[in-house]
Amino acid sequence: MVSGDDRPTVLIVEDERALIELYVRWLEDDYDVRTADGGEAALEQLDEEVDVVLLDRLMPGMSGDEVLSELRSRVPECKVAMVTAVEPDFDVIQMGFDDYLTKPVEREELLETISRLLSRSTFASLEQELYSLAAKQAALRASKPAEELNDSEEFADLERRVAELRERIDDALPSMENDEFVAMVRDIEGGNETEFDGSER
Amino acid sequence: MTYRVGGLGEPATFDSGASLLITGESALTKQRLFDAVAPEANERTVVITADSGAETVVDELESRGASRDQLGVIDCTSTESDVEGVPVRQLNSPGDLTGLSLEFAKLLDDDPDRVRVGFSSISTVLMYAELRTMFRFLHVFTARIRSGGMLGVFSMDPGMHEEQAVNTIRAVFDAEARIGDDSADLRGMRFAQ
Repeated sequence: MVSGDDRPTVLIVEDERALIELYVRWLEDDYDVRTADGGEAALEQLDEEVDVVLLDRLMPGMSGDEVLSELRSRVPECKVAMVTAVEPDFDVIQMGFDDYLTKPVEREELLETISRLLSRSTFASLEQELYSLAAKQAALRASKPAEELNDSEEFADLERRVAELRERIDDALPSMENDEFVAMVRDIEGGNETEFDGSER
Repeated sequence: MTYRVGGLGEPATFDSGASLLITGESALTKQRLFDAVAPEANERTVVITADSGAETVVDELESRGASRDQLGVIDCTSTESDVEGVPVRQLNSPGDLTGLSLEFAKLLDDDPDRVRVGFSSISTVLMYAELRTMFRFLHVFTARIRSGGMLGVFSMDPGMHEEQAVNTIRAVFDAEARIGDDSADLRGMRFAQ
């Protein structure tokens, strides 16, 4: 998820030049920032390095919705926040966005949204790792008697890793709101994120 | 803040945010689940049901002292129901986890303070969803319950699944109550008894 220099990458898609400049100024200290002034330019800027996309829904040319579905199919694990002039309902989640920002976007709000979207990615990948470990643990429990497991170094190590992982998961996303919950379940059902590759992070 | 929970032998007190798994034959666990999620005076209860219709759920909770304005039901049984005074959301399939979470979010849109969540049952939903998907869904759901300071009560019939699947699901929960004919054995953490 994190690119070469360890800073997450944010792609801003916005047709108003002045807004792009403003967002870049707010973000460039913490993130690698890429910009695009329309849908086609956005897709040119897109690759696996991109962690978060800010997408203006109403742009001339390719619509935000078209860009979104293209983004999703090319880099399924990146998080996309819709930037909109009108306050939406839960629908944005069902439409496939991960979050939304209403214009005018304020600095704090923008930074918070990006950081929560990144936390959500971390949570999801740790949580997939937890599933692999829990399944392994369950398989051992089902195949070996309890006494044997108590003496097993491998099992003790597994238990330690599970406990440690649980702590990291709690730290990654200490609170979860309703709309966030819905978006995360949608991602789980859609397989809409990176498969855990088994490596330690 | 804590939740007092009956129906598990000795009265138990759960930390707010805790999630409990009730295991045993479904006929037994169903009654214990209703006992555990029956709301107290200042509480709300949302039941997600894939095995009893909304009317049964409301009847069971009313017989345990709940009033209708405390209740909400997400009904995945595909049975028609008309329960006056209780918001009932119908889902076409128990396997529609995104729809389920969306209805859950809508039912609690006003962000109430104290909520008990009943889920009956994991076994039924597992007929429609893969184990991996179910584990991850339950993990995110219990994280939402923890974050909201709610109480989660989920039931499962271990006789319906491979032991390995049961053990995997167990790993999601803070505590487990194993229900026998006349017994309830509560273990785990985040509760006092």
